[in-house]
Amino acid sequence: MTGAEQGGGDMTADNDHEVVLRLTDLVKTFPGVRALDGVQLEVRAGEVHCLLGQNGAGKSTLIKVLSGVHRPDSGTVEWLGQPVSFSNPQAAMKAGIATIYQELDLVDDLSVAENVFLGHEPRRLGFVRRGAMAERTRGILGSLGHEEIPARRMVHALQAAGKQVVSMARALSQEARLLIMDEPSAVLAHDEVENLFRIIRRLTARGIAVIYISHRLEEIREIGDRVTVLKDGRTTAANLSAAQTPTSELVSRMTGRTIEYVFPPRPDEPPAREELLRVRDLSRAGEFRDVSLSVAAGEIVGIAGLVGSGRSELLETIYGARRPDTGTVELAGKALRPGSVGSAVRAGMGMAPEERKSQALLLGEPIYRNMTLATFTGLARLGFTNARRERAESDRIAGSLDLRPLDVRRPVGTLSGGNQQKVVVGRWLLGDTRLLLLDEPTRGVDVGARAELYRVIRRLAAEGVGVLLVSSEVPEVLGLSDRVLVMREGRVVHQAPSTELDEDTVLDLVMAGSLMEGAPA
Amino acid sequence: MSTGTATAAGPDERLARVGLLKRLLLKPELGASIGAVLVFVFFAALSDVFRSASGVANWLDPASTLGIMAVAVALLMIGGHFDLSAGVQTGTAAITSGLLTTYYGVNTWAALLISLALVLAIGFVNGYLVVRTGLPSFIITLGTFLMLQGLNLGITKLVTNTVQVNNFNKIIGYDVLHAVFASEITIGGASFQIAILWWVVATILGSWLLLRTRFGNWIFATGGDPNAGRNVGVPVARTTISLFMITSFAAWFVGTTQIVRLTSIQAQAGFGQELIYIVAAVIGGCLLTGGFGSAIGASIGALIFGMTSQGIVYAGWDADWFKFFLGAMLLLAVLANQYIRRFAELSRR
Repeated sequence: MTGAEQGGGDMTADNDHEVVLRLTDLVKTFPGVRALDGVQLEVRAGEVHCLLGQNGAGKSTLIKVLSGVHRPDSGTVEWLGQPVSFSNPQAAMKAGIATIYQELDLVDDLSVAENVFLGHEPRRLGFVRRGAMAERTRGILGSLGHEEIPARRMVHALQAAGKQVVSMARALSQEARLLIMDEPSAVLAHDEVENLFRIIRRLTARGIAVIYISHRLEEIREIGDRVTVLKDGRTTAANLSAAQTPTSELVSRMTGRTIEYVFPPRPDEPPAREELLRVRDLSRAGEFRDVSLSVAAGEIVGIAGLVGSGRSELLETIYGARRPDTGTVELAGKALRPGSVGSAVRAGMGMAPEERKSQALLLGEPIYRNMTLATFTGLARLGFTNARRERAESDRIAGSLDLRPLDVRRPVGTLSGGNQQKVVVGRWLLGDTRLLLLDEPTRGVDVGARAELYRVIRRLAAEGVGVLLVSSEVPEVLGLSDRVLVMREGRVVHQAPSTELDEDTVLDLVMAGSLMEGAPA
Repeated sequence: MSTGTATAAGPDERLARVGLLKRLLLKPELGASIGAVLVFVFFAALSDVFRSASGVANWLDPASTLGIMAVAVALLMIGGHFDLSAGVQTGTAAITSGLLTTYYGVNTWAALLISLALVLAIGFVNGYLVVRTGLPSFIITLGTFLMLQGLNLGITKLVTNTVQVNNFNKIIGYDVLHAVFASEITIGGASFQIAILWWVVATILGSWLLLRTRFGNWIFATGGDPNAGRNVGVPVARTTISLFMITSFAAWFVGTTQIVRLTSIQAQAGFGQELIYIVAAVIGGCLLTGGFGSAIGASIGALIFGMTSQGIVYAGWDADWFKFFLGAMLLLAVLANQYIRRFAELSRR
């Protein structure tokens, strides 16, 4: 095996499982990019094989080749001992390879059963056999431990975790022998990830192989058997033990340099910081209640909380995208008009929302246009935009953010997740932003780009910008913030300087409600 | 901390339980059904004739031909597309059949088959262009709409030197055609057009297709999330093209009904109707964005149209105001449908 190393670990235990998938020297080029440049991968029946790599390392392309969306230029795909080439997704699915994308491929206005059998409905005389379909769906959901999901319920009535189970049920309905999961935990709250792992263990116990892609090392350690690391379209390490390989080694295989998952150091607290943001008794029915908080200039305040704790809604309300029922928001002593984004932006507030693709970026537009979007008026003369000046200003910011590729004329849609996020943050560096609201700034961002983002955020704070950030990753909130607020069920339940908190305490506070629910005290 | 609490888990919060009321609210045709009842009560209170048998026969008539088209257009809209050429296609079908038989002496059945093949080909081209170019169907069918409108008029004038095709009742087999497309059935002293029966059949057929066949699931997938559909093996292109051809078939059926009934057809026939079809489908709960709607809803939308168009006359009002009422009703229906859907979705959490 050239270029790839055979890891040690507990390989012997897996050797009695047959190899179901073997990729050799896989190459796939797109105009201007060598997306896959010699990938080796070996997946055995019944294992969870983790794929690790930075954004842009070729994971997405690899998945698309395996699921029949793309065809490789050279190299071989051996599936169940036979060389194969899938001409379309259906062919891959028929062969037993099912892919669960991050954006779950479900049709909202069809029922669970109809989604599970979409494309291969059982029929008789032109009629869909709805009874049989529902029955088989129930059987499959039962085998996943989720018989409580009604087969005839419309899919849009399910939460993200339920939808994910339906996606898996669909894979099983086609008798998949390999399940590719692209960041399945990204849409899940903390307690739901455990459930996902339970399902995965059930699948592997039946001999189904799983390719698991995640940026979260702790997940890989928990669920993974072996790890293959990709970098720049190449396999840099194959078949490492997921449990025993040291983090530093995994990271160095991904980056080519040994960087730690580190946060920039906090500056010594200045004697007196000017208060920037003051939120008083903010409430929105069903979302959050009586939230009061403050952010000082140069301070990073982190909000920890589960999905559904009201943290994103709170951020959007402060920004003016939602109108509060009661309460006030003041920036630098000046009250903002409730429910007015314009008022917030004029006062110097900037926001990087959670769904950056749908809420913050014009994917088809060039980077500089996306950056100048918020400060358009400042750059326009007599109503005309000045593309040259826009580009020059953006170039400056892009350089300071270490944007890759460093060409502000490229459409944002061609950037990796981490670099897209830099564009969103960079946008606010152009204007006179005094307070930056960040909602899950590192979601879907790889380790290397994360460290850069952290540095950028810390540097902004050092320049006097106040930062209010929301994250479901507790280490991130703790490592990056000066002060931490914990939200649960729409209320701030705790706040303290981050130096006085540790991960276990925060996690406890964050989840206490959901763990206790339904059980008597 | 007793062992008994381990099993006392609460309901799974991933699943919202959906009550009967909410499920009802989520039915696309609910708003239209309530609207239809209100419109009926309103005009029935104003006019005795409106609620008499002959009155009913009278307002069911315009509803019927519109309803047949509306069902097909609703399927297409659920599939995520529009067909602006659907109206003039009824004219194209009728003019083709009329010219071939009355001016060129082609056998009646052959002529009907040729006109059917022609509009199906138009539907295919519409669908094919939409699928291949990825352009909005609005633009593609706007093009075919204008082209057909010109062709209908140009060819009719060229052949007949007038703007209509006459004498369709002189052709061989007209009796049979009349029996199938234009006969009347007397119930309670009033004669009902047979088109009403075909309308009911079309509604049942459309609903069956949508809710009980896999093609129906594909329609929802094509309109709701074409990428998801494609990824799981739904033939999105084929489904789209089929939907355009179904619309064309409906246009042929309605066009033939017109020419058989009137024994002549205007070169401008069907012009402007394409929007009325969409209005009926939207009143019936179809979303303009696709993926949601129902065949029954579109039929009820057509019913509302029929009741209003005739009800205004029975109420003794100036019929010039009809379009105003239609527009107001459309707005009301869309707002109500949106409100209901949002309410049902919000209360689901």
